[in-house]
Order: sequence, then structure tokens, then C-alpha cells
Amino acid sequence: MSRVLAILVYVLTAAFFAVFFIYPVAQTLRGAFVTADHGISFIYVKEVFRNPVYVEGLQNAFLLAVCSTLATFVLSLPLAWLADRFEFAGKKLLTALLLAPMVLPPFVGAIGIRKIFGQEGAFNALLQSVGILGPDHAIDWLGQNRFWGVVALNALHLYPILYLNVAAALANVDPAMEEAAENLGCTGFRKFFKITLPLITPGVFAGGTIVFIWAFTELGVPLIFDYTRVTPVQIFYGIKDIGSNPFPYALVAVMLVATVLLYAISRLTFGRKAGDLTMMAKATSRGGARTIRPAAGVACAAAFAVVIFLALLPHFGVVLVAFSRDWYGTILPHSFTLDNFRAGLGHSLTVPSIGNSLKYALVSTVFDAGLGISIAYVVVRTRFPGRQLLDALAMLPLAVPGLVLAFGYIAMTQEGRPLAFLNPTRNPVPLLIIAYAVRRLPYMVRSAAAGYQQTSVTLEEAAQNLGCPPWRTLYRVTLPLIAANLLAGGLLTFSFAMLEVSDSLLLAQKQEYYPITKAIYELFQLLGSGRGIASALGVWAMAFLGTTILGASLLLGKRMGALFRA
Amino acid sequence: MIAVTIRDLSKSFGDHLVLDHIDLRIEPGELFFLLGPSGCGKTTLLRHLAGFYYPDHGQILFDDQDVSRVPPYKRGTGMMFQSYALWPHLTVAGNVAFGLEERKTPRAEIRKRVDEALASVGMTSFADRKINQLSGGQQQRVALARALVIRPRCLLLDEPLSNLDAKMRLQMRGEIRRVCKEFGLTAIYVTHDQKEALSIADRLAILDKGHLVQVGTPRDIYRHPRTKVVADFIGESNFIEGRALEPIENSEHWRVSTALGEFTGLKPDANWDLHVGEPVVLSIRPESWKLREAARTDGVATVNVLRGRIGRSIYLGEVAEYDFQPRVEGGDGDAAALKIYELNPRFMEVTDNTEITARAAPDDVVVLHP
Repeated sequence: MSRVLAILVYVLTAAFFAVFFIYPVAQTLRGAFVTADHGISFIYVKEVFRNPVYVEGLQNAFLLAVCSTLATFVLSLPLAWLADRFEFAGKKLLTALLLAPMVLPPFVGAIGIRKIFGQEGAFNALLQSVGILGPDHAIDWLGQNRFWGVVALNALHLYPILYLNVAAALANVDPAMEEAAENLGCTGFRKFFKITLPLITPGVFAGGTIVFIWAFTELGVPLIFDYTRVTPVQIFYGIKDIGSNPFPYALVAVMLVATVLLYAISRLTFGRKAGDLTMMAKATSRGGARTIRPAAGVACAAAFAVVIFLALLPHFGVVLVAFSRDWYGTILPHSFTLDNFRAGLGHSLTVPSIGNSLKYALVSTVFDAGLGISIAYVVVRTRFPGRQLLDALAMLPLAVPGLVLAFGYIAMTQEGRPLAFLNPTRNPVPLLIIAYAVRRLPYMVRSAAAGYQQTSVTLEEAAQNLGCPPWRTLYRVTLPLIAANLLAGGLLTFSFAMLEVSDSLLLAQKQEYYPITKAIYELFQLLGSGRGIASALGVWAMAFLGTTILGASLLLGKRMGALFRA
Repeated sequence: MIAVTIRDLSKSFGDHLVLDHIDLRIEPGELFFLLGPSGCGKTTLLRHLAGFYYPDHGQILFDDQDVSRVPPYKRGTGMMFQSYALWPHLTVAGNVAFGLEERKTPRAEIRKRVDEALASVGMTSFADRKINQLSGGQQQRVALARALVIRPRCLLLDEPLSNLDAKMRLQMRGEIRRVCKEFGLTAIYVTHDQKEALSIADRLAILDKGHLVQVGTPRDIYRHPRTKVVADFIGESNFIEGRALEPIENSEHWRVSTALGEFTGLKPDANWDLHVGEPVVLSIRPESWKLREAARTDGVATVNVLRGRIGRSIYLGEVAEYDFQPRVEGGDGDAAALKIYELNPRFMEVTDNTEITARAAPDDVVVLHP
């Protein structure tokens, strides 16, 4: 019975992945390595490394990723440690707010940041009003430091992923391990570096890998900052002449190889180790957070507050832009208005885009839920020989950036190819939904698998023993027991589908099918009231996604970290 | 009430042979125990009866019906799991009602039977509780009610008491026997706790490394183990190697020569064709020995008597454990110490230098395969 199910799931998943994951990636690689006369050659890739513009783009993308990842470490490691060890006033609220940056795609936040740190922005106005800057010495903060602007926005958007991973890893460390170290005379920083840090390494690197890949392939933020000398943006602009130009293919291939290598190294190095460590790290007692002196408590809370403030700065900016009539050279806008929201309701881009995004996200989430539940079942509950491969396959989208996948979709639907009927210039809806589904499947598989793993098999056996066939057991016992996991996974899948940037920007090529993110991007480029309306749309997205993510974190608590693991 | 027959059953996991040609018949209404050290295959055998495993070879019969390849949900067994496996998303009543719902029992009857089942384990007032609001003992009762309410063809119990504290265990094992007999159930009970098995089993089977080594009543198994493994696993024993000297006429007894001298013992395995001169092992339980001062000369026994001294002793209140160091005639005096228990201890006061005799009745000395 379960064997038939296993084979069915296996075949369906494998077919789906073959067509919508491996085939597009293969098409991209083909474009990069096969020349016009059908010979295999490294000429295009070599050419990429010879062209100074492309080399600079790759260097910048790599540096962006390194700096963004380091910055997320600096932000999230201390906070996770403080939250794990100490009890202080407002901790629950602060740790929840820490996840707030995830409710907005960073490129939308970039709109707000430009308003705050631009030459005529709020920050200069603030400096001028307190007399640090002369009235005529406005500094173009972002014009000079675009690179660091992108790093800051990446870090402020991505640190929650690392934070959740580290927090989960710390929660899993058996307090007895640290007590044993103390008992043997090892305390303080020595203990942290010799015992605690090695034990949480798998969690740290699992989160770090995802952050790195994300930052390496980030498209929206550099676009909004006009930071064009970076590979993802170069690929984005290269889409226009994809039919004739092999270099976008070569660029995508280079990015793909880099991310997959990184992902594979991280999995091989820390994946196995994670198994060893979790085995040992089964907690025998609950350590619990310590209450500390009020002054120290305030210091902890302040550390959280500062990070949250910085992380929400782009959001404030977006909200202010959305509600302002005009905001130019002052700390706060002169006057507030609902005009942008009103204009948004009338604009041909906004309302349909909200409807589109809801529709795409919903369909892809339902699809992911079905696939995720089945895959996780086969992986966790059966002894089917190919199950590890299935597991690896389902996690692979984490290593392949949305940019690469979307590029592959465009490549595989070019005129004359077998899947040309899906070409996004005609109707991008199927490809958008599939792209969202493929990209977010890992979260659903992880959350369902975590649910199965936490649920003892004997609970299912007990049902069968009392006369309940396997499929009814799934429905009567297993699914109700893992409902919280599924709901949380579904909410995250849904939210992230709503937030998809790179594949939305690339694939949605017809205005009537634009999802929210593409609409925001297009509105942003309109002169006049465009930025205001874009921000208003961003506010809607924030409110909406804030609610869903809050719901997910309430459902899962600390277990949420498990969803963001490579 | 059914008879359960296991015929020549074998099972391997990978290269590892877990059950090796098991033959067993459990009579209708019997409370039957599977006992053995961990890893002996007892739980695997029970899971075969439930249908969670199918045998590689051999058959399982419920009365005359071959159920070897019947899936678990069609077997109609009631199983109690070691972890209880109560569903946390259902109430106590919801858990108990589950099996009846699966059988499409009418609603009114479900209510009635759930109430009855909960009453029979004394959990009526907990019907609407959530599982995580119950103590271990209460969960255990709910698990029993859930298995009983479907009127199972046989009841399967997988170490049901191992998660309870000692006092609860004592109380619940009596309860389980009462319920099984009251419902007239054929019950197969897996445990590694010999006290549980000896106290409530009708019969028990000892498994070791996938082999069935002995089947019998608790008294039979304890008093007359067939192999060293059984004697060692059930209770404690002193093992003395020796050689068969001669059978004693018109009895099941043999004379055996050992390094400690000559013994007379019982050979319980009637099928064992023992020859003179063959190596054997004697098993003598620590509580079988009778101690007295060697200086006393009244009523001296002549067979199975050892002289020696008490070495280490442990006082446990109602009983004392001694290491008795036998003196070997003509030897170098290095024989291994024997373990001896004395109820209502008197010899605690005896000094190291006092010579003691230890004596065991011929019926308490068991002749085993080496």
C-alpha cells in the first residue's frame, strides 16, 4: 500500500522536477556551453571572464554576498545568544518584532531608504537641523555608497533567517553540555567558543548558506539602487536579447555553478555533522533563560530595539512615502494624505496585481502542500530505496536562485522549443505559479517532514491496529497531529510566493498578469505619483504579510528556524 | 477467544536473522508472555501478530485462519503500545471511540461501549480530558480501554508497564490479568521484566537471539530451566561445570562430578539422551542453599554439601546475599565464590574464620546442557 504510494509520489515528483527544474536549468547550461554549430565549448564562459564589465559584476555580486552574510552574522548571533540565555522585559514582543523585516521584499524597502538617505532626504534634513551639516552641504549618502546601501538592505532583510536558525540550534543544545564544561573549569567566552559555538555550527552554517545564496543573486535591491554593475542586474537586462546573445546564458551558468557548489559543500560538510551533533545534543534537562539585573535587561532590550529600528527603517520610509503628499528636504513629510492609496485603487496596475498575486500564491501553495505532504511522507515514513534522492531533489531549489530558474523558464519556452506554448510573453501565469511552487517547495517539505519526525509512528500503528487503513490513518491521525506544522509551512510558502521578486520581474511580461512585486517595480519607474503609489502598494503587502508571518511564528515558536535550513 | 498458532516463522532485517524458525501455540483465553533480553526478537514477534511485519517464512494462524499476510487494520487485534500511542488531538473518549468508529458502529452503541470500557478501567470521570492532562498510569488505563473496547480477537501488550513507577506497575499488572480473564481474552504480553511474567502469566516463552528456548508455566521455567540461558535470564543462578557420572535408578536424577565434589541433581529435559562422561552444567539457585555451622554435627546431610567460608555479605533487610567461598578438597582453594541468599538472615554475624556448610536438595540442583 505505502509502497505503491511511494512509487507514485516518486514518479510524479521526478517528472515534475525533470520538466520544470532540471530541463530549464539544462537549457540554460546548453545556451552557455553549446555554440551555434552545436559544438560544446567554454568560449562564452571564457569570454565572460575576459569581459571586464562581467568580471566586475561577478566580483561585486560575490563581495555583496560576503559582506551581506557577515553583516547578518554580526546582527543575529549576539541577539540569538541573548534571547536564549536571558529573560528581560519585553522579550516576547522584541523577538517577534525581530522577524518583521521579512514582511517586505527588500527592494520595496529600498524605495523608502532612498527617501531617507537621498540627497534631499530625511537624514540630511535631520543633520542640517541639528547643525552638523551646513544647509548647502547635503551629502548624497547612497550615490557614493551604493554598494554598502545594498549590503545594509540585504543584511537588514536577511538576518531573521540566520537568527531563527541560531536560536533553534541554541535551544537544542543540552544545558548539561555547558554545565559539564563549567564543572571542568571552562567558563565564559572560552566555554562559548569551545563548546557552544561548535555545537551550533550546523545551524549557523545552514542559515548562513541560504543568506549567502540569497544575497549573491539578489536582483531587486541593486535595481532600485541603480547599482547596475552586478551580475543579477546584468542578467536581467540581458533577457531582452536572450534570443541572440549567449552571454546572459553564460552568466547564469556561472552563478548556478557557484551557488550549487556552495550549497553542496555546506551540505556535505555540515549535513553529516548535524546528524552527529543532534544525536548528542538531545536535551536531558531544560536550561531555561536566566533573569538578569534590570539594568542588564534594559541593555539587552536596547540591543534588540536598535536592530529592529534599523531593520524597520526602510519600512518606515515606505509607509511615510505612501502617506505623504510630497517629502523633500525635510525630516518628516510636510503633510499626509491618502491620495496615493486612492490613486492606487484607480490605477490600472495595482488592483489587478493584488488579485493576481493572491491567485498565484494561493494556487502554488495548494500545489506545494499536496506535493510537500506526499514527499515528506515518502522520505520520513517509508523505506523506499530512492527516498534520499527525493529528499535532496526537493531541497535543491534552495540552491538555485529564482533568477536562474526564471531565466531557464524563458530559455526553455523560446519559439521552436517543445514548451514554447508556455512562453511568458503570451501568458506567464502557468510559469509564474510553477516558479513560485518550485522555489517554495523546500519550506513545505521541511515543515511537513519536521511534523512527521515529531510524530511517533506508533500513533499511526495504533490507528491501523484498531482497523483504520493507511490512507485513512493519514487523514484521521497524522494530518491533524501535524496540522500546526502544515499551516505554518503553508503560510510561509504563501507569503514568500507573494514576495517573489526575481522570477516575477523576469517572467511577468504582460501588464494584465503582473503580480504585486512587478507592479511595484513598474510603478516605481513611473514619474510623478508612481513612487507614492508603489509605496502604498508596499504598505498593503506589508500589512498582509505581517499578519500571516505573525500567525506562522505563533504556531511554530522556536521550531520556525527549522524551515530555513539548507 | 481464539487460539494463536505460529508455525515455523522466520524473519530477517537485512542480513540479520531476527526470528529463527519459531513454533508456538497459544491456547484460547491464555495470558501468554514473551520474555527475553532486549534484542531477542520478542517485540518483533508481537508485531508479526499485529500485522506490522509479515513473516519471510512460516505462518500465523488465528484459530484456523491464516493471517500471515493480512494487513494490521483487518486483523482485529487490540494492541497496547509501550508508549501508549494515545492521540493527543483527541479526548480520552475520542481515543477509545476511534476503533468503533472505524468499524462503523452506530453512534448510540459507541457511547455505551466507550462508557463501559472506561468504567472497566476506572476512568469514567476522565472521558472529556485531553491526553496530556493524564498521568502515566491514567494513560495506561485509557490505552487498555481503547484496545479492549473493540472486543479484539486477541490482546497484544508491548511492555505496557515499562513507563510506570514500581508501585503503579505492581498494581497495574494485577489489573491487566483481572481484565483479561474477565473479558476471556487470548492475550500475548511482551516484557523483559521477569517478575511481571512470573506473577501473572499462565504460560511464558523465553526467546534468545531469535530462538525460542523454552515454553512453560512460570514455576516450570523457574524451577526446571532447560538451558543455561533460561536459568541465567530468569532469576539468578550459580553454574558449576562437571561431568555426568551415572543416572540414579528409577528417577530423573543423575550423579555429577565437579571440581567442588560430587553432586546429585535433577535432569528436567526428558528428551535429552545423556551419556555417562558427557560434560554438563549444574544450575543451583542462590536461595536453594541451606547454611549451617560446620561444627554442628546433628542431622548431617550427605549429598550436595560444600564446606567453606562466607566472604563478602550484603544485608538487604528481609534477605542477605553472601559470597560463599567453598573449600576444595585437595585443590588449591581457588574455586569461584557461590552466591547464596538467606531469608531472615542469621549468618551475618558469622566471622570469616568460622567454617560453614552449604547444602542444596537434589531437586534444587538442575542438570543442564553445557
